[in-house]
Amino acid sequence: MPPPSSRMTKNTLQPTRYRPGKAEVEPDVSEDESEEDDEAEEVTAKAPAPKASSFPSRKLAVNVTQAGQRIPSGPAKPKPPEEDLEGFVTASESSEDEGGALKDSSDPSNEDDEDESSEEEDSSSDDEPAKPMLRPTFISKAQRAQQGTSSTTTTTKTAEEQSAETERIRKEKADELLQAQLEKDAAAKAAGRKAWDDDAEIDPEDAVDDTDALDPEAELAAWKLRELKRVRRDRAAIEGREKEKEEIERRRNLSVEEREQEDKDFLSLQQGEREGRGKMAFMQKYFHKGAFFSTGENEEDEEVKAVLNRDLAGARFEDETGDKSVLPEYMRIRDMTKLGKKGRTRYKDLRGEDTGRWGMEAGKGREMGRGFEGVDERFRPDDGFGFGFGGGRDGGNGGGGREQTGANSAPLGERRRREGESGEGREGKRARFD
Amino acid sequence: MAHHADAKRALDERGYKGQLVRGDNPLKLFEKPVRDRIVDSYYWKEQCFGLNAATLLDRATELSFVGGTYGVAQRPTPFLCLAFKLLQIVPDKEIILFYLEQEEYKYLRVLAAFYIRLAWEKDEEVYATLEPYLTDSRKLKRRTREGWALTYVDDFIDDLLLKSRVCATTLPKINPRLFLEDEDRLEPRISALGGELEELDGEDEEEDESNGEVEEVNGPVNGREHEADGSDEEMVGG
Repeated sequence: MPPPSSRMTKNTLQPTRYRPGKAEVEPDVSEDESEEDDEAEEVTAKAPAPKASSFPSRKLAVNVTQAGQRIPSGPAKPKPPEEDLEGFVTASESSEDEGGALKDSSDPSNEDDEDESSEEEDSSSDDEPAKPMLRPTFISKAQRAQQGTSSTTTTTKTAEEQSAETERIRKEKADELLQAQLEKDAAAKAAGRKAWDDDAEIDPEDAVDDTDALDPEAELAAWKLRELKRVRRDRAAIEGREKEKEEIERRRNLSVEEREQEDKDFLSLQQGEREGRGKMAFMQKYFHKGAFFSTGENEEDEEVKAVLNRDLAGARFEDETGDKSVLPEYMRIRDMTKLGKKGRTRYKDLRGEDTGRWGMEAGKGREMGRGFEGVDERFRPDDGFGFGFGGGRDGGNGGGGREQTGANSAPLGERRRREGESGEGREGKRARFD
Repeated sequence: MAHHADAKRALDERGYKGQLVRGDNPLKLFEKPVRDRIVDSYYWKEQCFGLNAATLLDRATELSFVGGTYGVAQRPTPFLCLAFKLLQIVPDKEIILFYLEQEEYKYLRVLAAFYIRLAWEKDEEVYATLEPYLTDSRKLKRRTREGWALTYVDDFIDDLLLKSRVCATTLPKINPRLFLEDEDRLEPRISALGGELEELDGEDEEEDESNGEVEEVNGPVNGREHEADGSDEEMVGG
């Protein structure tokens, strides 16, 4: 069961800052257990924090982070700041100290008030820029007297031992740190570029071997092969160019008819290829393949090639209406998703947009009959047959066909020339600004 | 030359007063994203600060692979960083030729070749300087975007002369060799295979396609007549 926390958060309680003029309030003492755990984590968390790239990320033989904690090789001691405090013995501490070795705070035999309070202090004093100050507790006169007798005996007994102990501890710590540092240096040197190259484990450099002279003959032969390929490639390039020139020359020397014959052959070949393809359905939407993946010279996979070059003419997909010619004109759009939307354009195809006579003059008018049958009566041309025919019918009616109905149906007569109109005529009464 | 911790001074497009290569700041031969990756990399920051030609030589001798950028984050290889540094320093021609001539360190040679291809403006010089090294058949490790590959010095130089993009850089345009030959600025290439060329050719035409197989070169072959003989001689005689 997680430790009950009155603050309802897992964040550790941060030490309150010093604000001048305000009384200092110690952080809540009931947070002991969680704080002690956090202490330990904090300490371990802080040690590996400065992760400069110069240092290899591998595990070292000696665990630096544990260095501070391993000094008494006895029970794990989550209170390194306390060791720094050698010499600073408060009244409460001295009572704890027996046999020189610092005891485990969670030792159940230490059930003194002082010990408990000292625990509390220790935990509360565990901020890293270590204020090594232990808060002195108040001990009443009576208890002081008691303590004094017990502590003097213990201290006199263990003074030398204690100092020896602290010395030993210090030396060990220094040794371990030094060792760790040396190992780091050695590793950094040996690793060389590993400093900045973090994925040396994932992608080992030894995957490829570049030592030479393993098999000189094989290497020489391989080189010769490569050189040969290069030479051949150069030659092929020259030959290609010469062939092209040759071809150009040849075509020039052919007569015109022969050229046309060759062109026709080539075109029919192309068309043959095209005929193999399907035919686009009526108003089929045109899907462009996209230009991004189009150049796939290195594409060797058959499936991929097939997919890239497939022909979509006449292809139906699931939801598509079979034949759009049965739909009303409003629904005859290529992209059915635009139906009903403002984005739908009225544009259908180029032929529908053609306002000229080109489409009709090409003979379609004659093949399909008159072009004005499907159009409402009000929009038909006046003569009904004039331009519905091939429009090239000059000659007979000239422009007169249309004008036979309506007001201007009288034929034009000759323009009357007045006498005395020698050179000017209409120009006579022109304003002159010379 | 004042060295700044990052190359931003030299990268600043305004007011660049140093030597021009191909008419512009030499660092602009690398593309902007590649430049950014290089300048932000640890190798550049730690190892390439304040290098001159001599110390760069030391760094280059420690190189152990070529490559452009690799990985998802497009990290630059030390090869690329050093090439960038060379562009920043713009060393003299003699220094570069000295690098190129070093037999002992193949990666240094390849680095110099890369620099030559990038920075030298006269096509004939580039071809003339780099082609002799097509005989160097040593192996090179190449770091690709995902993983490693094996290549050879001559293969790499061939790529430099022919391809348009090598090692995360678009190489500046160079006239193809045929064009230069047509203009008589260059002699056609005399392959180092020399006399063995015809033999090898003859063998290959008689046998089936033998891609990737190691060819054993026999002694002079007698009685092998083939159509291409005349043209071969033309090419080799040059």
